[in-house]
Amino acid sequence: MNSLPRKALMLLIFVSVSGTVVADGSGQARKWLDRMTRAMNEMNYQGTFVYVRDGVVETMRITHVRDKQGVRERMYSISGPRREVIRNSDGVRCVLQDSSSVVEDSLVTSTFFPELPFEKMGDTSVGYDLKLSGEARIAGKIAHRVSFKPKDDFRYGYEYWLEKHTGLLLKWVLVDTDQKVLAKLLFTDFKIGQSVDLKELESSSPAENFVAMPTFSKLKTVVTESSPRWQPDKLPPGFKLSSHNQQVNPDGVFEHMVYSDGLAAVSVYIEKKGSEVGVLQGVSQLGTNNAYSRQQGELQITAIGEVPAVTVKTIATSMVRSVASN
Amino acid sequence: MSKESLEHLSSLMDGEMSRDSGMFLTRRLASDESLCDAWERYHLIRDCIRQPGSKHFVTGLTVKLAASLEDEQLPVVSAWRSNRWLKPVSGLAIAASVALMAIVVTAPQQGALPGDTAIAESANQPFVSPNILPLAPVSQAASFTPSQKAGAERLNAYLLRHNQMAGSAGRQGFVSFVPIVATQVSVQAELDESQETTATVPEQEAAANK
Repeated sequence: MNSLPRKALMLLIFVSVSGTVVADGSGQARKWLDRMTRAMNEMNYQGTFVYVRDGVVETMRITHVRDKQGVRERMYSISGPRREVIRNSDGVRCVLQDSSSVVEDSLVTSTFFPELPFEKMGDTSVGYDLKLSGEARIAGKIAHRVSFKPKDDFRYGYEYWLEKHTGLLLKWVLVDTDQKVLAKLLFTDFKIGQSVDLKELESSSPAENFVAMPTFSKLKTVVTESSPRWQPDKLPPGFKLSSHNQQVNPDGVFEHMVYSDGLAAVSVYIEKKGSEVGVLQGVSQLGTNNAYSRQQGELQITAIGEVPAVTVKTIATSMVRSVASN
Repeated sequence: MSKESLEHLSSLMDGEMSRDSGMFLTRRLASDESLCDAWERYHLIRDCIRQPGSKHFVTGLTVKLAASLEDEQLPVVSAWRSNRWLKPVSGLAIAASVALMAIVVTAPQQGALPGDTAIAESANQPFVSPNILPLAPVSQAASFTPSQKAGAERLNAYLLRHNQMAGSAGRQGFVSFVPIVATQVSVQAELDESQETTATVPEQEAAANK
């Protein structure tokens, strides 16, 4: 007789419990992401990984050390043309032997591995379905899978396989909104802590043998808490302003804003166009990154990030002068 | 591959080889994959960005330009190229690469902003396949105007700076820099802008951002 209320009660309990489980799974995924971020910044690790994109497999080495000298990192290719990226307290330096060039960018104040609080980096749950599921053995270590499935077409999806005890990244997969793999990274051997060979931090490519490619590394920019002079009148859901740089020198226009949904990030650059800046128009693709440039009067506005082309276009075309700057 | 082979390759590129030797080397190129790779690499980067006044001037090896290989299939079509936003378009779009990363300028369709085609159109020069190699190859870098070159360099600078920021903001650490270390692969792509309307920012979100 009272079977109906009993069923309703059971259903209510089931929904409540499953909701808790889902929420808990999402919370766990977020905790693992936080753990990964800290581990990748603060721990010493070294390993070989393969990077797959467009059906091409490339092998690279990474050495990451944090000691009295701060954070030092070197990544280089061990197949194909020799290329390396070195990051330390001075900035980032890319040595590209295939083009006999070196590209450098000085450190942007406070940008090297800052421990930004979550709330300042966008809420990942707005743009993604978070899930903690799966376990596998990668490079001899047990890894948990944390997946971030995009909720809309404005961002890609991610899969992180994180080492069980440390949270260090062992496998990374980038997928589009249809869950098709765009790029993949997988460690084949991995060392942690004392076993890291510090000699691998040293570059085998002296910079003086290479042609320095122009960047705006000489522009001293500072991270500022002041409001940007430009802002988007619409942003894809979940994206928030996470940092803002501007040129100190008052005679030039240079503004750099970074919008992040907690995982993906889009930079917007606004600067005075000219021969030095070069003409940029429309959509460009740089590896897994997309860029969109447009001109407005004397200014050039470019949005760039590892997001779908529609996202950078949406943001670049919606940038307007903020009321406060008028 | 021997040093001698590379020197022959260089002579061929400079048009300094006799016709018979050139034809012999051309036939070898058709069957020798490593030589063919070297040829392609030499040829693509031949017209480097010369740095007048630089004491570190290096002949060649600064710019890579890639375009469609005539009479040849494109590399394996990946998920990246077959996703809903990007579709391969033979002989239409251009792969233009500079030192840091390959930059593919997509060919806009209806609804594109004025001037969107500027780089793509002028850079749309045919690439000479090693299989039909002329004895005195034509420079490929001519399709890059100084302004476009500056634009490409600027994009690379943007990317480098972005990666510094995204490495923390996006929480991915070194992963952001992996595509720079990876050798670029030329991709031909076209943005299907007609589908962009499927991704719109919700009105309430737009209002919230104002």
